[in-house]
Formats: sequence, structure tokens, C-alpha cells
Amino acid sequence: MTATAERRPLLRMEQIDKNFPGVHALDHVDFDLHAGEVHVLLGENGAGKSTLVKIISGSLPRDSGRIFIDGHEIDGLNPELSKQLGIGMVYQELSLVPALSVAENIFLGQLPHNRLGVVDWPEIHAKARESLAILGVEIDPQQEVRNLNVGEQQLTEIARVLTKNPKILLLDEPTSALSDTERERLFEIIGRLRERGVGIIYISHHLAEVPLVGQRVTVLRDGRSIGTLPVDQADRDTLIGMMVGRQLAEQYPKVAALVGETALRVEDLTVLDQLHGLSCEVHQGEILGIFGLMGAGQAEFARALFGLLPIAGGQVYINHQPVHIHHPADAIKHGLGLLTRDRREGLVPLLSIPPNITLAGLSQTPFYKRMSLRSETETAQEYIEDLHIVPPSIERPVMYLSGGNQQKVVLARWLFSESKILIFDEPTRGIDVGAKAEVFALMNRLTQRGAAIIMISSEMPEILAMADRILVMRAGRFTAEFQTGEATQEKLLQSAS
Amino acid sequence: MIQPPDANPETTQTGPTITPAGRTQDVGRTAREIITRAGPLIALILLSIYLSLATPYFLSVSNLTNVVRQSSITAILAVGQTLVIISSGIDLSVGAIAALSSCVAAVLMTQQIHVGGATIGPVNFWMGLPIALLVGLLAGAFNGFIITRARIPDFIATLGTLAIFRGVALLITDGLPIPSHLTATELKGYLPAEMIWMGSEDLLGIPVAGWIALLVVVIGWFILRYTSLGRSVYAVGGNREAARVSGINIDRTKLIVYAISGITAAIGGFVLAGRLNSANALMAEEENLRSIAAVVIGGSNLFGGEGGVFGSLIGALIMGVLGNGMNLLNLSAFWQRIIQGVVIILVVVFDQWRRRRFILRR
Repeated sequence: MTATAERRPLLRMEQIDKNFPGVHALDHVDFDLHAGEVHVLLGENGAGKSTLVKIISGSLPRDSGRIFIDGHEIDGLNPELSKQLGIGMVYQELSLVPALSVAENIFLGQLPHNRLGVVDWPEIHAKARESLAILGVEIDPQQEVRNLNVGEQQLTEIARVLTKNPKILLLDEPTSALSDTERERLFEIIGRLRERGVGIIYISHHLAEVPLVGQRVTVLRDGRSIGTLPVDQADRDTLIGMMVGRQLAEQYPKVAALVGETALRVEDLTVLDQLHGLSCEVHQGEILGIFGLMGAGQAEFARALFGLLPIAGGQVYINHQPVHIHHPADAIKHGLGLLTRDRREGLVPLLSIPPNITLAGLSQTPFYKRMSLRSETETAQEYIEDLHIVPPSIERPVMYLSGGNQQKVVLARWLFSESKILIFDEPTRGIDVGAKAEVFALMNRLTQRGAAIIMISSEMPEILAMADRILVMRAGRFTAEFQTGEATQEKLLQSAS
Repeated sequence: MIQPPDANPETTQTGPTITPAGRTQDVGRTAREIITRAGPLIALILLSIYLSLATPYFLSVSNLTNVVRQSSITAILAVGQTLVIISSGIDLSVGAIAALSSCVAAVLMTQQIHVGGATIGPVNFWMGLPIALLVGLLAGAFNGFIITRARIPDFIATLGTLAIFRGVALLITDGLPIPSHLTATELKGYLPAEMIWMGSEDLLGIPVAGWIALLVVVIGWFILRYTSLGRSVYAVGGNREAARVSGINIDRTKLIVYAISGITAAIGGFVLAGRLNSANALMAEEENLRSIAAVVIGGSNLFGGEGGVFGSLIGALIMGVLGNGMNLLNLSAFWQRIIQGVVIILVVVFDQWRRRRFILRR
């Protein structure tokens, strides 16, 4: 490679502009990527990161601006052309076919044939096993994708893109569902790809990942490029400042509330093969943290409490009264609220904000009951202002909102239904620093109003900061309990693994 | 270019009033939205203008009355079908339910039935109508029951019940029209005058069938927009998982929706029998296609979650005007079928195309 070729960026984007109805998603953004470089793209939700990579992958057309790949200007970029140019993309939302096997998904659309034109299964399985082995994961290629956990699905998706030997790799939050070991493995692979001269654009919310994985970092805010820095100049506070436009005085504004009566008590809760005799209690005004590595049973615990998983044994008490919860409607009736870890389970995308906020009330009213649309709109108006939901439109479907704002709509639902016991399953998953702080502030407000919160999280800093008490889970059992101040990251990890 | 960003007036559920937040939206988007929402209506007007230029008979009072009478039956069936489709189901048995319920009612209203030692009937109109509605309700609930209990895809379940309902209707009528000139004797009389009035007479210059359709549409609109059930229908069709987590009883919602579709099918069948002056087991055969076409042309999402009954009413009128126009232009009935089929496919293709454009913009 000559010196000039090295200096010439693999990808250069000039003055990229993109408008969505009512939103200026990208405002004349410049961006470049060199061969053998990991360029991290940081920004709050709705800052324009995903839009930018979707323009590169050709799945979104740009309004104006120029794109150069290897110094050649590319005009009409579409998914087909982008594939030919060696651009590979791993989407944030998984794009696998659940009913097909891992191997079929990896080679989807390019299944190898033998001479008779028949699909060559032994070959496919061998190749799939090989490409998964490169990632260092043990997944059976003949397994159906729907039987995999989210982390394994994400790795399958990455394996699929890597089989196409991309020159430019776009990774949109690849670690959001990975365990620590899987994440380290991914970083190793990224390092190896880099040595081979692949240019990688890496979108992330984890500030801590930036120095681990990247060489340069670009921060986007409200569709504008705020700046590009080499990682050694990009310390945490600088980046947060660039992302939110202000230095966050305190990221975890924990305010202790008065801890009152026992709100929820669980005795020997058992779910077949998944949860084994769980007992705990949570009080009014208290945040009970539940920490565990991926797949330790935290999600199942939340779903069992909320009537989404059949309970094989045990008893749940709410305000000292035994209750039987077989369906989410029962849970809602008893004052429970659940913020699901997957936002797609929380919202009806085609409906606007008001009906999404009042959704949990439907099960508590007879089906013929007349609703007051006016008071619903007024209620929504209040929450939009109170929680700073942007854009503050009453009529647009919530599918247009960014992740953080969607999360606020789900939060507004449980505020509105006046739930007394809230289960927050990974409340900050996939949302940005600014929205995180707002979610934490809201949790404080809830506990001060006397609500009890069960906070399930695999983010140690946030659980250490926010929880009054932490239970650690491993393989469907509680293995340790810590009071606030007692716990450290090391202790949590020791009990969890 | 017409580029519809949103679907339908009913979807947003917040009415046409401009809220303070609404003002922030740009004017171009609002204009596009109006065009989109009015799309079916514009199509109807253009089609009517074309036909009034192409044939002198189209605009005559008697012809327009006839169009309304024909479209009314499709519109009535389409109301239930709209609810079903918004909840992301499909009801292929509406035509069969229309036939079965009006056959049961017609038999009871025209014949004496011997059950054991007792003799029933013939009953009058005021007994016959509720009986027809009850048969429709039970048939619809049966659909809902199979779909939710046996967990079969909606279209397979209703395809099966389509055959069942038609078969039962054939059994109880012996395959003959009720009443027929073969069976019309003193004991096996004629359909009640009120029923014929519903199907064939006018009220204030408009066919009674049209008034009935309007009433059914308004009730459907009220259910979708203002009741807890209506909201559940949008939620279940829009995101089943979210509906479940929010405590909505999905099975019960589907059961009620199919029961409503059964009732509207029965109303439509009853009016149709009144118009034909007879009921038979094979009547309303085209109404499956027509009602589904009306709903889709009216802008409801074939995959659930959005739509509304006023759109379906316009859709039914479009199907009616199209059929009438082809008659006036002397197109053979065989060709009419082909064209109706092509229209429904084209509408769905167009609908999918605009939705793809719209989702990519996220």
C-alpha cells in the first residue's frame, strides 16, 4: 500500500443531509473512516447515528451530500450496491428469521449448491460451524434461531455479516445483548478485522467501551456532528459534555426516600426449570436491585411476578394479602407495573402517545365502557410536558419517537396507572446518557411517592448507585444480598458467577 | 406525488381538532395527510365523474338508488370485517354467515316446524330478526372460539367454517330458495313485509338499506373510537405482545370481534334476503371478496393495527359504483369478476408499497 492510499479514507461523507417529516435527522454531517480503523459514533437517542449508518448501508436515501468510497464518488447508494461495495451492516434490531436454523440464517440468500442445484447441507453446516468458531462461540448451526438467547442471536447476526468479508463494517450497538465474555470476544475479533484493513463504524451507548474498541470517536447531537476526537483525548466527561451539550453534574441522582411497609413479599417462587424457590420482599419507597449475568433468571422473575410465566409454586403477598396472578390483568389490578426489557413489547407502534399511555387501563374496564378522549389527551399532554417527550405530538404514531422517548411513554403508562409496585427490567437498555438520568430521576420521584421498585439491571454502576438493597441472582436462585454501601462491583460479580 | 405518511382518520384516535402540539407539524405534511386520508373518497368521486361522462344512465336517480342499495349490503358486512382486520384477523365466512342466518330466519318465518309434539311458527318479523342476529352472533362466536382455543390461523378457521355454515344452510333449506314457488303454499308462506321493506323500499328518498348501513357504520365507528373494546382491537392488531403485557385479554377481544362480524353479516344477509324477496343457502357468495376489498380500499391495514369503518363505507361504495358502472358499460359478469379481483390485488400492492416507503423513513 502506498502512502497516498493510506491517507485516502476508505469512506468519506460530505455534508450529508436528511430530513424526516418534522425532524431534521442529519444536518450537513461530515464523516470519514480509514482502513484498519474503528471509528466510534456516539450520541443520544435520536441524535442521528442510526440514520447515518443506514445511509451508508443504502437502506435510506440521503437528501443531499456526497459519499466517496475508496475515493470514488457513489451516487445512488442502495442496499444491493452497498453490498457489492463491501459494506456489511449488523442492525440494532435483529434481522434474523426465527424459524430458520442458525446456518440457514448465516447463508440466507446465498445458500451453497452442489452440482445438481440442490442445497449442499453438509457444506453449509460445516461452513456455519467454522464462521461461528471464528467468533469463538459454541452455537449448534442446526439449532433454530428462535431457541437462542438474544446474545447468541446477535453473534449469529455478526457471523452472517462476516461471511461476506466486508471492507467496511457497520456495527449498531453490537454489545447491547452480549455478556462480558462475549463482548470481549467481539472486541478481539474487531481487533483482528482491523489488522486486515477493515474499516469499522461502531455505534455505542457504552461510554466505557470507547477507549477499549476505538481509535477515533465522533459525537452527534440533534443531527449535527459536534466533533471528532482521537480516543486518547476523549475522556468520559468531555464525551458526556459533547453528547448532552452540558456537563452532567451527577449521572445517578439518587435521592433516598422514606422506606415504609412491606409492599410485596415473595415466598418460594418457583417456575419449572427456571426459578428455584425465590423469596424476597420490597418495601414502599425502596428500590430493590436485582443483579445477575445474562440468563440468570432475572427476566423470568419479572415475567413470573407479572403473570406472563406460569408459576409452579410459591406465594406472592401484596400489602400482606396473598394474591394469585395468572395474567397481566391480575398484576395490574394489584398495582403492579412492568417496564419490559424489550421496548417492542411495551408499545403499540401505530398508535399515538395518548392511547399508549392509557393502555394498561383497558384491562380494568369492561369492554363496552366509553372512554373520554378529551381527558386522555389532556393526561397525555401533561406527561409529555412533565417527562419532556419530544417531539411533543399528540397525533403521531409512537413508532416515530426515538428509543429514549419511547421508554418515557411506557414510563408514563405506569405513572398514569398509579402502580404501587414497579418492576423495571433493564430500564436503561439502549437509551442514552441524558434519558438515563431522566429515568433515574423519575425512579426517585416514584419512591418518594411511596412506590416500591424492583430494578433489574446488569449495569453494575447504575444498580450500585440507585438500589437501596441488592439481590444477586445466579441460575434461577438468589445467591447474595447487600445493603446499600456494602456492595462493590467485585462482590456483585463474585456472587453472580 | 401522493405520499401517504399516515393511514386513516380513525387511527390516531384524537379527532380532527388541532391540538397545540399539532401546530408544530409542517404544513406540507398536513396537506399530504389530508390527501391520503381523503384518497378513497377522491377515487370514488373520480370514478363517478368518469361514469357520468361515459354513460348517461349513471347519474339517474333510479340508478344511484340502486347503487346505494347494492353497496349497503357490502358496507354492513364490511363494518364487522373492519374490526376483524384491524385486530389482524380475517373473516372469510361472512358471506356464509349472511346466508345461514337469513335462511334460518326465512325458514322459521315461512314454515311450520314440528319439534317433538310441538309446532313452531311461522314466526313474525319481530321474532325472525332477532333470531337471524342470534344465529349470526353464534356463528361469529364459533369462529372466534375455534381461532382462540384451537389456535388455528384465522383464515384457515374461517375457510373451514365457511364450508360448514353453507352446508348447514343447504341442509335446512334442502337446497331450495325460501320461500320458493315450489314450496309456497298456505302453510309455507311469504317473507314478512317488513323484511321486504328493509331490502327494497325507500325512506326519505334513500333506500332503507342505506339507512341501515349508515346506522351500522356509525355504531362501528363509535365502538372503535370510544370504547375500551375498540382500543383493545387496535392494540391487539398493532402489537400483540404489548397488548398482552398491558393486561388486555387477547382471546376475549378476538372472540367479541368475530361475534360482531357475525352480527353484521347477519344484518347484511337479512337485508339482502329482503331485497331478493327470498333467502337461499348460496346467496351473498361474492360478499367475502367485496367486504374485504371494501375494508382494504378504505385504508385499513391488512396486517392489523390501523383503519376505520368510514373508510370501509367509502370502499363499499367504490365496489358498488364499479360493479354498477361495468353493468352500464355492458361488461359481461364474467369480466366483472376478473376486474374486481384485479382491483383488490392492486389496492393491496399499492398499500404495501406506500407502507414500505413509510417504514423506511424511521
